[in-house]
Amino acid sequence: MRRILILLTLVLLLLAMWIALTAGQVAPIKRNIIYAHIPSAICALLCFVVLFVAGFGYLRTGKPGWDYVAAASAEVGLVFATVLNATGSIFSRAEWNIWWTPSPRLISSAVLWFLCVVYLILRASIQSYHRRARICAVFGIIAVIDVPLVIISARFIPDIHRANFSFDSVWQGTSLGLLVLANFFLAALLIWLKTDILQSKALLENELNY
Amino acid sequence: MNYFCKSLWAIFAKDIVTEFRSKQVLPTMIVLGMLIAWVLRIVSEAASLSTTVIGPAVLWIAFLFSGLLAQERSFAVEEQEDCIAGLLLAPVDPGTIYIAKLFTNIIMLCVFELVVVPVIFLTFQLSVADKWFEFITVLLLGNIGISCVGTLFSAMVQLSRIRGSLLSVLVLVILMPMMIPATFALLLLFGAIPGELAGSGTLALVGNFKTAIGYMVAFDAVYTVTCWLLFGFVVQE
Repeated sequence: MRRILILLTLVLLLLAMWIALTAGQVAPIKRNIIYAHIPSAICALLCFVVLFVAGFGYLRTGKPGWDYVAAASAEVGLVFATVLNATGSIFSRAEWNIWWTPSPRLISSAVLWFLCVVYLILRASIQSYHRRARICAVFGIIAVIDVPLVIISARFIPDIHRANFSFDSVWQGTSLGLLVLANFFLAALLIWLKTDILQSKALLENELNY
Repeated sequence: MNYFCKSLWAIFAKDIVTEFRSKQVLPTMIVLGMLIAWVLRIVSEAASLSTTVIGPAVLWIAFLFSGLLAQERSFAVEEQEDCIAGLLLAPVDPGTIYIAKLFTNIIMLCVFELVVVPVIFLTFQLSVADKWFEFITVLLLGNIGISCVGTLFSAMVQLSRIRGSLLSVLVLVILMPMMIPATFALLLLFGAIPGELAGSGTLALVGNFKTAIGYMVAFDAVYTVTCWLLFGFVVQE
């Protein structure tokens, strides 16, 4: 099952990138970075949804599995948020000659990154297993509630960001859609793998301790 | 309801009395607030910045960092002699403990502001003309926001190895969305920016005083309720 998912993700990613870089090219070449930027933004937000669901699930049931899913989704969310901020920063340097500026969407994506980092710091600083799982679930829920609040409150600040992206050809839309889908599979796969790693690590540590 | 009020009052009175007898944190908070204001006043003079622009930022920085001191204390005092176990064994809902601690923190911040706000007003030559009521509303809403998140996180970091620094990181990242409208509202009150500033994008907020206040009320309501509901999980053993 997992092998099929790995294969599917790889094929889809390669196919989508091939279409994006051949038929789906965007006019000034620097704008092709949206093919990395938009999918990672969507996937980072999806990781937060998983974090919320997993935190809620842990507090409800107390099963360790939910806790591993939450930790994995925070780490994967950090990866996507890093890609999101890095590509955004590179693009804004090329387009507006600045690396970063306080503009609504830039603030929101920076806060996404910070929330993931803080979640992982909190996780690393508590030793007792049950306490860590409970507290991280609580913080996960609070962090996810923070995301819409940031997106709304950042609107108090003027925007320089491109509000809408219009496509010239059907290939551009297709390749963007395919890339979003491929990244979605990639995020799911990474969360799955990381959850398994955390689970086997916990098993191993339990065996060593007792 | 009566039982809730009685137990709330008992915990609240205990915290306030111990703080005002021991005078551990409040003097430190006040001195820290004044030092922050003083350092930034000197810097603003060196950079010849307008004091009405930097004033709101100084107010919120002073409140945030001094508030952290109050919040860190609110559960650290319970660690001595394992008081927290006694508190949790008492037949009260954990939510009541949270609300009592929240009130204590809000009162501490209010006392702190009574001293520090005049100092900042004098050093930065600020004036809100006749808008005292609006000014106090903004400060109170900010107090509630800072305290409701900080009180929960204070309980969360109790058993970790790096409690103080962890608490500041957690609180600052979660409070970030509230600080934008809070600063915006104070900038409007001090007359540093024009009354109406169009927001932008698809979710555009018209940036006036009312939307800023509305946002802060919503933030406080969302986080007070969420933290109150989640507090039980944090202190569970």
